[in-house]
Formats: sequence, structure tokens, C-alpha cells
Amino acid sequence: MTGSRTEWTLLATPMVVFLLVFLGLPALVNLVYSVSEVSFETLRSPRLSGFGNYLAALADPAFWRASWFSFRFGLATAILECGIGLFLAVFLAPLLRARSWTIAILMMPLMVAPSLVGLMYRLVLHEFVGPVPFYLYALLGWSPSFLSGGAVFWTLVVVESLQWTPFAFLLFHMAYSAIPPELREAAVMDGAPPMALLRHVELPLMLPTLVIAFFIRFIDGFRVFDNVYTLVGAGPGGSTASLSIYIYESFFRQGAIGKAVAASVILFLAFFALLWSVNRLSTRRSTA
Amino acid sequence: MLAALRWLVFALFALLVNLPVIVTLVTSFKSPKEIAANPSLWIEAPTLENFASVLVPTDRLNLLGYLGNSLVVSLIGSGLALLLALPAAHAIARGKLGRQTLLPLVLNLRAVPLIIFAIPIYMGFQWLGLLDTRIGLGLVLTVVNLPLALVILVNALNELPVELDEAARIDGAANWQILTLILTPLVRPALVTAFIFGFVTAWNEFLFGLMLTTTRAVPVTVGASFFFASAGGGVQWGLAAAVMIAAALPPMLLGLLMYRQISRSLLAGAVKG
Repeated sequence: MTGSRTEWTLLATPMVVFLLVFLGLPALVNLVYSVSEVSFETLRSPRLSGFGNYLAALADPAFWRASWFSFRFGLATAILECGIGLFLAVFLAPLLRARSWTIAILMMPLMVAPSLVGLMYRLVLHEFVGPVPFYLYALLGWSPSFLSGGAVFWTLVVVESLQWTPFAFLLFHMAYSAIPPELREAAVMDGAPPMALLRHVELPLMLPTLVIAFFIRFIDGFRVFDNVYTLVGAGPGGSTASLSIYIYESFFRQGAIGKAVAASVILFLAFFALLWSVNRLSTRRSTA
Repeated sequence: MLAALRWLVFALFALLVNLPVIVTLVTSFKSPKEIAANPSLWIEAPTLENFASVLVPTDRLNLLGYLGNSLVVSLIGSGLALLLALPAAHAIARGKLGRQTLLPLVLNLRAVPLIIFAIPIYMGFQWLGLLDTRIGLGLVLTVVNLPLALVILVNALNELPVELDEAARIDGAANWQILTLILTPLVRPALVTAFIFGFVTAWNEFLFGLMLTTTRAVPVTVGASFFFASAGGGVQWGLAAAVMIAAALPPMLLGLLMYRQISRSLLAGAVKG
């Protein structure tokens, strides 16, 4: 061991204190407020009231609708993004290797704020000034109303996926180029056709990356806020409220502090359980 | 044949993922009259009038102010994150401190929906008078940036040989001296990467900007949405498009210039997760 333990601790202290103030303290406040009766008038003197806020959140159909929206949204976008990203990384591999600037073009969407992308699609999909309905009318004589009723969920899925497929694609591109050429050569020497090479050599080697990418994209989709909020908000009757939007609206629009905070704690516990089990699985695998 | 097909797929996909930016860019160069008459991707009579009029602040909308706010809060959010993360990364990489608890805990923060902490932070800021201030928003963006900054710096420090430290220690240097005088210059590329990536992340953040600011400290992601809620008469699409381009341009330029570093830091977060 080099240097004394106190000396090392001192170096890490500023960051730890900062995180405790900005995340630890809020987590604690959440816990207290979630079992209190509280309004904007009584913010500083919350009265303990038991688990009423949790019951209110759990009995709220909007809470379950938002959870279901987040889950479906996370799943649909993760599947789309990983599927298309994988296809592109494999199919375009020779092109990407020869001209690396093509990667820069494909990752541009990752640089744009999701909230701005949501706003931009208001223009892109607009009935009268949007190019997409314009070209659909010109070519097919018909254009769906992208942001209404049944279509809006899938419109949002496509909007999110088009922006974040490049992320999955980048991960897969890196994993694909990291496969040692000897492995490919050996398989080709043994007479493996390209599809067999992909199925039995390349995909198994990329599997860990596939799992990680799917997990990251699912979580990002599940907690979505920015682009959905700026494109359609909570939607008609809260139909496009993700859990993040549900918590935001409960707090700022309805002033239902207790319910919003209780929903935050439930979300926190769900994520804690999820991350804890994923971490356990991955450490067990790496030590096994 | 196959090569041509590859180019075709690439071009199609590049167009599709970049469509919102392309459409917005095209619209920003059209006059209001043309926007109403011609929604296509072709510009009949290009004009700069949208950009000219959007730069003039009104009593309700102030694009330059929003851009300035974004610049300041992003500089705080990325700079302070590095300042806090660098010594902690040193303690983790060299002092073997908190490898089992602190590091995994901070790393997992990247996956937690930040809305969970938003309400107490809002109430705390109200109490401290930090609502609608640039320093307040900058502090929260520091929290957002800390996890990835820490991973990038721990990885970079792990790659440096320990012999460097040992030699310096024999010469009588203390830990903080080793960090500031010897290691920091060597991890400069990682610092630059983490700074740029943090800057882009902070610039593009929306939720906290929406919650914590109202007038004085509004960042451009939130300010851009003001142009859509114009008072009566519907959205002025030309102005809105010009605003969105101005808001999206800085991170896109950084992305084009430094796409290698940025993709590496995107992936660093994913792989060490």
C-alpha cells in the first residue's frame, strides 16, 4: 500500500460530499415526504401520515398507465435500436473500415438534444408545413395523422429509435471490429459460408455487447422524458405519459407533492432492485 | 454490386437519422411565405431573415441570453465535474479506495432516472434561493456529468504505470503532488475528452433546465420550446427553425470535430458499466 489511507480518503472527499448533498440528501427528503402529509404551503413542516401517499400513487390508474407506457416504450425502442444497429454494424463493416468519416455522419443524431429533436419533429410531421406529410401526399395521396390516438405511440418509438440506433450501432461496430481476424480466417478456411460465420462465430463473440446495449437502451427508453414531452407532452388523457412525465406532472401541474414523491421512491426502489440484480449477475459471471 | 448497395443503405440511413436536423435547417432558410407554400426539402428563395430577426431580443424571448446561459451552465457542469472527479479517480485508481462500493455506486447512477431526485432538489433550491440561477443549474449538471467523468479518468489513470508514482514518492512527493505535477499532465487527453463530452451532455440537458429555471437562467433547450408557445397566431416556423439550429449547432460542431473522442467516451460508459 502506498500513501496513508487518510490521505487517499481526503482526495475522494469532495466528490463524495458533493454527491451526498445532491443525491443522498434528496433521497432522504423523498423518504420523509413520501410518508408525510405535505402541500406547497406546509413544505417545511411535513406531518407524518403513514403510507397514504404510496396507496394514493398505487391506486392511481394514471400511475399504472405511465408504468406500462414506460415499459412498452423501453422494450420496443431497445429491440428496434439493437436490431437495426446490429444489421448496420455488420452490413456496413467494410465501408466503415475504409471510410471512417461515415461513422461521424451516423453519430450526428447523438449530439442533438433529445428535447430539440422532439421539437423538430413537430415541424417534420406537421400537417401543413411538414415535409413528411407533404411527400406522402405527393407520392401516395395519403398521410397518417402521426400524433393522434393509435399512431402516437409508434411515432414516438420511431422518433426515439432513429435518434438512438446510432448508439447501439457504435457499440456493435466496436465489438465487431474487435473480433480477431484469425478467428474469421480459421472459420473461412474450414469452409464456413458467411451466414454460418456470423451465426456461429461472430454473434456469440458479440453477445455480451448485445446484452449490455439492450440493457442500456431499455433503461434509457424506460425513463424517457425530453423528446416525448416536447413533441406531445402527456398526450390526450395522459396516454403518452412516461413515468418520468407522470412524476413531473403530478408535482408541477397537480401540486400532488406526496403522490409524486411516493412515485419517485417506488421508481427508485424498482431501479435499485434491477441494477443490484444485474450487477450481481455480472460479477458472478466474471468471477465464475 | 454489394459495395454499391452498402453505399445506398448508408445514404438512406444517414438521411433518415438526420432528417429532423436537415428539415429544420432547410426551413430556417425559407421565408414565412415560402414555408406556407412549399413544405418540400427544396428552397426556392433562400433568406437569412429568420436568423436576423431571431437574434433581436423581445421582452418575452431572448435567444442570445439563452445561448449565454447554456454556455455558462455547461462550463460549470463539465468543469466542476472534472475538478471533483480527478482527485477521487486518483484515490480509486491508485489508493484502491472504494473499488467495491464507491465506484460501482457512482457508475450505476448513470442508469437511475434523475427525475427521482428532481423534486427534493427543486424544494432545496427554493429554500436556498438557487432557483432560476445559472450557478444552481450548473451544480445540478455537475451531478449529471460526474459518473462518466469518473469512469473516463479512472480508466486513464489505470493505464499509467505505477512506477511513475513510486519514483516520485521516493523523491518525497505527497499524493496530491503526484496527482497535480505528474499524473494530471499525462491524462490530459482524457481530461479533454471528459470535458467535451460533459459539455455536450450539459448543453443538451432539458429536464432540470425546465424545472429549475423560469426567466433569468433559462438554457437554450428550454428557451427553444418558448418559441413554440408563442402568444397567439400559432407557431412562426421560420423563427422556430432558426432557434433550433442555433441551439443544436454547438454540440453538433463539437461532435463533428471530435467524433473519435466522443464515441470513445460514449462507449467507455457502456463497457465499464
